[in-house]
Amino acid sequence: MTVADSPLARRNPTVKFGLLVVVSLALLFVFEPLTPAVLYVVALLAVAAGSGIRPRLLLLGHLPFVGVAVGLLLVNALSRPGIEIARLGLLRVTEEGVEVGAALGLRTLVIGVLALGFVASTDGVRLMTSLHQHARLGLRFTYAVLAGYRTLEELPREWQLIRHAHAVRARPGARGGPLGGVRAFARAGFALLVVSLRRGERLAMALESRGLGLAPRTIWRPVALTGTDAVFAAASLVVLAAVFALTLPR
Amino acid sequence: MSRRLTLKDLVLVAVLGTVLGFLYWALVQAWTALSVLMGPAGDLAQHLLLGGWLLVAPIAVAIVRKPFVGIIAEVLASVIEVVFLGSAVGPLLIVAAAIQGAGSELPFALTRYRRFGWWVYGLSGLCGAGLVFFYSAFRSGWYGQDLFLLRLVMQLVSGVVLGGLLAKIIVDGLARTGVVDNFAIGRVLSRRE
Amino acid sequence: MALVSMRQVAVAFPRRRAGVLNGITLDIAPHERVLVIGGSGSGKSTLLQLVSGVIPHSVTAEVEGTVTVAGVDTGATSVVELSRIVAVLAQDPASGICLPTVEEEIALPMENRGVDPAVIPARIDAALEAAGVTRLRTRRTTQLSGGEGQRVALAAALAAEPALLLLDEPTSMLDSAGVSAVRDAIAASVARYSPAVILVEHRLDEFAGRAGLAALPERTIVLGADGTLAADGPTGEVLAEHARALTASGCWLPIGNELDAVFGGVGGLDSPVVRAGLLALGRPSPRGEPEGAPGPTEAPRPARSPTLLAATHLAVSRTRTARRTRAPHTPVLSGVDLDLRAGQVVALLGANGSGKSTLLLTLAGLLPATAGTVVGERPGMVFQNPEHQFVAHTVSGEVGYGLPPGSDALVARLLDDHGLGHLADQSPHRLSGGEKRRVSLAAMLAHGRGTLLADEPTFGLDRRATIGVIGALRGAAREGAAVMFSSHDLRTVATLADRAVVVAHGRVVANGPVFHVLRDESVLAEAHLALPPLIRWLLENVDSDAGVLRVLRALDSEVAVPAAAS
Repeated sequence: MTVADSPLARRNPTVKFGLLVVVSLALLFVFEPLTPAVLYVVALLAVAAGSGIRPRLLLLGHLPFVGVAVGLLLVNALSRPGIEIARLGLLRVTEEGVEVGAALGLRTLVIGVLALGFVASTDGVRLMTSLHQHARLGLRFTYAVLAGYRTLEELPREWQLIRHAHAVRARPGARGGPLGGVRAFARAGFALLVVSLRRGERLAMALESRGLGLAPRTIWRPVALTGTDAVFAAASLVVLAAVFALTLPR
Repeated sequence: MSRRLTLKDLVLVAVLGTVLGFLYWALVQAWTALSVLMGPAGDLAQHLLLGGWLLVAPIAVAIVRKPFVGIIAEVLASVIEVVFLGSAVGPLLIVAAAIQGAGSELPFALTRYRRFGWWVYGLSGLCGAGLVFFYSAFRSGWYGQDLFLLRLVMQLVSGVVLGGLLAKIIVDGLARTGVVDNFAIGRVLSRRE
Repeated sequence: MALVSMRQVAVAFPRRRAGVLNGITLDIAPHERVLVIGGSGSGKSTLLQLVSGVIPHSVTAEVEGTVTVAGVDTGATSVVELSRIVAVLAQDPASGICLPTVEEEIALPMENRGVDPAVIPARIDAALEAAGVTRLRTRRTTQLSGGEGQRVALAAALAAEPALLLLDEPTSMLDSAGVSAVRDAIAASVARYSPAVILVEHRLDEFAGRAGLAALPERTIVLGADGTLAADGPTGEVLAEHARALTASGCWLPIGNELDAVFGGVGGLDSPVVRAGLLALGRPSPRGEPEGAPGPTEAPRPARSPTLLAATHLAVSRTRTARRTRAPHTPVLSGVDLDLRAGQVVALLGANGSGKSTLLLTLAGLLPATAGTVVGERPGMVFQNPEHQFVAHTVSGEVGYGLPPGSDALVARLLDDHGLGHLADQSPHRLSGGEKRRVSLAAMLAHGRGTLLADEPTFGLDRRATIGVIGALRGAAREGAAVMFSSHDLRTVATLADRAVVVAHGRVVANGPVFHVLRDESVLAEAHLALPPLIRWLLENVDSDAGVLRVLRALDSEVAVPAAAS
């Protein structure tokens, strides 16, 4: 995916990734809703302004995790013991349940929108290069991930082809088109696995024949780590700390 | 034979994780019932499907038969998910993956990567599902819920069946096709013939 | 000092009883160019893998003897270290490329060797230019066609300026446009970087093309079926001497050599002996026609056999969602009218990307038509890569899949007919390319469907397997099926098809008896198809179409085909 230029896109990928990790860890211990709510607003504004995603896409990008967030709220509201505040037939809604549910749901929203911003402003290959350069990630590991990504790019096409190829062998009388059913899925899935693993072995051979693992090694377009990145990281951490300090109950 | 993971091993394991992740996603897409479940009720459905997430580790271990390959397999798959697909779970997915991998690999490690009967796979699924359960329980606050026991049971069963027994079926199938002949599993099997 | 040196090398794979290579001793000098040929299974790829170190480091095998590259023992040196000297261009375009963009791919080998980043861009440009693909510099690698992918992989292989380049059947998975593009790119790149070259190629007829022997390396090594060195010398001499044996074992030779071997002349199509021989083959034999060889102009069947599949005003598009998108978009083919009749074989011709596969998928009912209708019983279809269609764990399971219970006798008969009896309990994925193709054909024929579609059924096959496929499809037609296949191999088309349909620029530009279509220069030009020299000569000099067919069939019968469907 070619990433459009934007203030966030120009920041070092490892730094962005690191910040994402810090936020995730910080929220791991938070079970009340105010902190994540404020963080969500801050994150949303930051992503909207800094990553250049169009508003419509930003909204659409929420879909995958909004459902999960609502689900968390519901499940917690209905299944935690505590002070009852409402009743729907046999199900009771509790205050603690709503509080924790809201917290978890909002946490999902925060991470979700940050992840969205991250992917929209970061090229995967640049990230792996940066992790290799700045986070001392092993070379074989880095390229194994890239090989996985390369395989991923081809998968939808291969999958479609295999589904067609299997559909055409079904008993006559069935309509054309991919078959329903778990067994058909399993067979197609297995075929995809075999074809992909074979290809993967050849990919590894190709990487070795290109000399992956020789030392010393240079990097053609190293990822920059600049003063701006340090400022960005510091500012983000300050904002995070401020939100926590201001919203966590004393 | 060296115990170091070669590039070939790592690429195999990365491709394995990628394909399984893709199939998992395709399954969710194809079964609208499941995708509806993954929304609001997805919170509970996740326990049933967790077994699918565990598949990578035992299959990787059975093919490559070197220490830590199960953990690395899960981690590689999760890295691709977080970095290239922007998983909404965020980087902590990688932590969960590592824990899953560790649990799944444990029974194989304890039997010195030499035993691959149904029971080792089943145990692998149980440990993987169990270990990550406690991490997720903390992270998602399951401890205070009435559903705690239900969640645990669903997760363990899914782990054993989908993450353990299904893995053996897949490994045996792959070994027959010859596509993994050049890895440790191929060497061991050809020695037996 | 020799660049590559082998002494009494023997290789055996764990699952096979016989050794794949035996007692190989040879030397290759720096900058020398060598062609390695032999029947399938004779160990050509194994030889290359020994040189690159893949055997024994990545692929499990027992190796005897010594292999030395630039003074270094390959058994003791890793593949990665050997890659300083050796570069490889492999068969499959898709798995020869590892990174998402072309320029990253070409930069990788240089990064690995510690080349100064400042000079890398210039060397990327040089490599791309030598391979003829400068315009692809910023392209994403998933969007590359097969021929483009191979050229990029070639540029990446040579960017690091290795001393030795190994080419492992680089054109076998490409269409004819790709083959000539890659062949020219190889010639240009090798001329620029002058590494030593070891080329393994089985489609020598396409690879040599019009240039004939001049396009091939100067020295040729022939590997025999038992894995020994059968010949080693100047290409012209070796091919002339061993042409008969090589053709019989299934190699595609440059057409000149094939004809010389059959008729005993010298000079291929230019030789009077060869020409006389071809004309003689074209005349009807006094003993009557051999069984199963009715020509396109003779009609032993009623002229109007039943139409089994008819397409009317058909328009086809690549994606299922074509109908659902609101934006107007042009179908890849439109206005297609086709009749597939029982007992007829129709060839579908067209350039890469002209919509042949899409048309076949739509006729098979797998893609919805954008406009028009397809009427008839649902056809069977054989896909380009047989592995995509495999669903069972054994060959007999594969052939019997989807059949009603109690079909064991039918399965056994089909296995015998296609020469698969001895493979019945093996996993279909373990078979060779030709065997896999036979399995997928047999499995589709088992269903006994009226219409059979095949997408590039001879893709990547050696001559023997190709003739087997031709026989199987001809047999299906004789038993009453309507057959349609797409192919870029015009010789196979001329030998097998009764009619030809040509697609170009979004519509059907020709639809008629096959030799009519092949004689139409303007149609062929529109579809970017080039007639092989043999076909061109036959069409010009043999008086009847039936005669041309007789010649082609007679030439094919020179190849020893193991018990397969005829």
